[in-house]
Amino acid sequence: MASGRRSHGGLWRYLLVRFLLIFPTIFILVTVVFFLMRMTGDPITAAQGGKLSPDELAERIHLAGYDRPLIVQYLEYLGQIVQGNFGTTYTDHLAVTTVLARYGTATLELAVYALLVAGIVGIPLGMLAAYIRDKWGDAVLRVLAIVFYATPIFFSGLLFKLVFSTWLHVLPVAGRASTGSELRMQLLAHPTGIDLIDAIQTGDPAVVGDVLLHAVLPALALGLLTAGVFLRLVRTNVIGTFTTGYIDSARSRGVGEFRLVTKHAYKPALIPIITVIGLQVAMLLGGAVLTETTFEWKGLGYQLNHYLQDRDFVAVQGIVALLAVIVAVVNFVVDAIAALVDPRVRY
Amino acid sequence: MAHALSTGRRLAVASVSGVAVVGLALAGCSSSPSGGSTASSGGSGATIVLGTTDSITALDPAGSYDNGSFAVQTQVFGFLFDTPYGSPDVEPSLAESGEFVDPNTFEVKLKEGLKFANGHDLTASDVKFTFDRQQAIGASGADGGNGPSSLLANLDSTDVKDDLTVDFHLKVANDQTFEQVLSSPVGPIVDEEVFSPDAITPDDDIVAANAFEGQYVITSYKVNELIQYKPNPDYVGVLDAPANGEVDVKYYTDSSNLKLDVQSGNIDAAYRSLSPQDIADLSSDPNVTVTTGPGGEIRYIVFNFNTQPFGATQPDADPAKALAVRQAVADLIDRDALSDLYQGTYTPLYSYVPDGLTGANTALKGLYGDGNGGPDADKAKQTLAAAGVTTPVTLNITYNSDHYGPLSGDEYGLIKDQLETSGLFTVNLSGVQNVQFSKDAPNDGYPVFQRGWFPDYSDADNYLTPFFPEGGFLHNHYDNPQVDELITQEVGEADPSKRAEIIGQIQDLVAKDLDTIPLLQGAQVIVTGKSVTGAVLDASFKFRYATLSK
Repeated sequence: MASGRRSHGGLWRYLLVRFLLIFPTIFILVTVVFFLMRMTGDPITAAQGGKLSPDELAERIHLAGYDRPLIVQYLEYLGQIVQGNFGTTYTDHLAVTTVLARYGTATLELAVYALLVAGIVGIPLGMLAAYIRDKWGDAVLRVLAIVFYATPIFFSGLLFKLVFSTWLHVLPVAGRASTGSELRMQLLAHPTGIDLIDAIQTGDPAVVGDVLLHAVLPALALGLLTAGVFLRLVRTNVIGTFTTGYIDSARSRGVGEFRLVTKHAYKPALIPIITVIGLQVAMLLGGAVLTETTFEWKGLGYQLNHYLQDRDFVAVQGIVALLAVIVAVVNFVVDAIAALVDPRVRY
Repeated sequence: MAHALSTGRRLAVASVSGVAVVGLALAGCSSSPSGGSTASSGGSGATIVLGTTDSITALDPAGSYDNGSFAVQTQVFGFLFDTPYGSPDVEPSLAESGEFVDPNTFEVKLKEGLKFANGHDLTASDVKFTFDRQQAIGASGADGGNGPSSLLANLDSTDVKDDLTVDFHLKVANDQTFEQVLSSPVGPIVDEEVFSPDAITPDDDIVAANAFEGQYVITSYKVNELIQYKPNPDYVGVLDAPANGEVDVKYYTDSSNLKLDVQSGNIDAAYRSLSPQDIADLSSDPNVTVTTGPGGEIRYIVFNFNTQPFGATQPDADPAKALAVRQAVADLIDRDALSDLYQGTYTPLYSYVPDGLTGANTALKGLYGDGNGGPDADKAKQTLAAAGVTTPVTLNITYNSDHYGPLSGDEYGLIKDQLETSGLFTVNLSGVQNVQFSKDAPNDGYPVFQRGWFPDYSDADNYLTPFFPEGGFLHNHYDNPQVDELITQEVGEADPSKRAEIIGQIQDLVAKDLDTIPLLQGAQVIVTGKSVTGAVLDASFKFRYATLSK
């Protein structure tokens, strides 16, 4: 009984510490981004430098307040975000919260597709590699896994476009939907920003098909990155479970190899995948910047790239803050689940 | 073993199926990859799908001063004066007429019965509101530094005389460029019942209020993603009614995606900005047509008269030697080679006013090089020797590495080669990012440096006044009182032919001084599918969607 209380106390203390760590993580990231962005110049010079006279440029920079001491601007910014005010973007006059809501849904949709690809590709291939371990097929799959996660997304994206769009003409080059479908979805009374749901709302199967078709290449480009990690992880863990007593016991009872892998060995092997998914969220969001840019997938990553080029401080800070929150919260949730499932974690 | 192989195959089949399900199952959901082109065929009702890499800052004309925003505003807002197709010169558009009633008052009479697409009357009050808010928003900084209010530097105030008459009170008398200013990014007339007098009005509010009076209205709007335009039946400006029934503009970031989509027929036209290499590739593609027209952008080399070799603040200052250095550089530049680098998307520029504009000439062509636009190393050598300049002259040239396109480094690498091959110069080349460059260049930071210019309106003066009086915005210490006087004259000269003559004289004078050396003039380029006709790229430098049809 006393041991149980200690155990629960340890769990809660662990969760509390992990939760509190979210705040300094976000604070540090927001601070670093704030000062890094200021080092790259101001958005007015980026947009109007060379077009306006130096005096006019200086006047506009002054009116915008970009010539004030950095510490003043920083404290003002911190004060605003504490109040939930992320400001208005410089380059397109949108509230940052609107940007986050409008484009975050697109990134979420892509991340779900990518995780789907990672699971569908990585887990079965990992099981297969474990089953045929140390044979040439296993070697091929292991190399394939390395290729998956070592190939830069912009390269695999271009390769996919070249093969499926330019040569075979079976998949669209870029975008989330074709023009006609996008216009149909823009006319919806309550669009969600998640194109698949909006396409379903139109009630037109052709629009749904069009949206899914546009998702194939971006989902593959981003999903295969994580699929490589899944493949190797599942393979290693399944092989690990082969040496355990209960597998030997099942084998001695005459359970077939296929059933051993697909029924008995893979389930425990999937537990670490939960932790890895948490780690992969950051990787997916990082990858989303490249994937969205390569495929004109207009999500947060795409917008981040656009705002970075224009030195739009406000937008970049807002997006990075949101990404930081997502990564920190997901990691916290994953840590919590891991602690609940495996008591060793909390000690 | 047989069992193992069998189960292995089953597992392999399951794995491969997993991979396949992602691609094939989703791909099987639709039969057409392009899927959504809503284009109907033929006639005036055709839908044109156009792609661009432009980006929009704001629909509100007071909140933007960039090509992407102005491209939209050009289609949906009306101007008091506008450029008809094929001309660089403006004519009354929403205005019935405009004239100076005294040297400092430009009076505009509006056409009768003007209306916005939402049914609101467009009166002199809207015109006054438009220009008052431009000035107020610019002065308060409510545009975030993004607005075009600086174009109204010569406007003192605006008065309503009656419902159809507006008086613009100007600071400098007889400003003949004012009509052009009214056709520029500061000129779109806005609905005072919709727009805020002192803040930027959000795009969605403008679209929802249908506050347009141009050739088109916007019927669906997702910023920097997709805009649907439909003809405005109430448009009464100087331009013709649209030849198409709808234009859908799709926004891209990656020009290679734009290229692939126009090549594969997913879009009907691609306008701005394909890379020179892409345009060269598309020129040989039988499925598309590449159309070019004069562009307003110019590129040139600037000399800082204080810090260039033998400049005024140098220990060995000597104006004659400094001029000889500039002349020798002008003799050695091979503009055709620079144009080739850009695959013809930039053409050689031999004067300060680009080809296509009223008053443009080729002042430098006869003065430097071989007299026909080509380089001449012997002439450069003689020029330097005659001035007593010891060679090789060390020239420190700085270019902007991230503002004038990805080929700036190659362009200036080529210039370095052209200068050094003669043996007359040793060039130290450095690339600097725009943020630093914009601070250093006008503050004596570089003795010789790159610049480019995008015009605000299609008038020769926009290539003269900003540059030459007292060094202009270049801050390069160039000063020629005769040039300043002639510029004052041309701005106030009402007779077009006399004005063109003065503009020619200014170019001839500056060509002798070589304040800057013009290099290249950008071309406008549109790539269209074979079924698309009617693209007009003219010296107005405004691309109007209304001429496109299929």
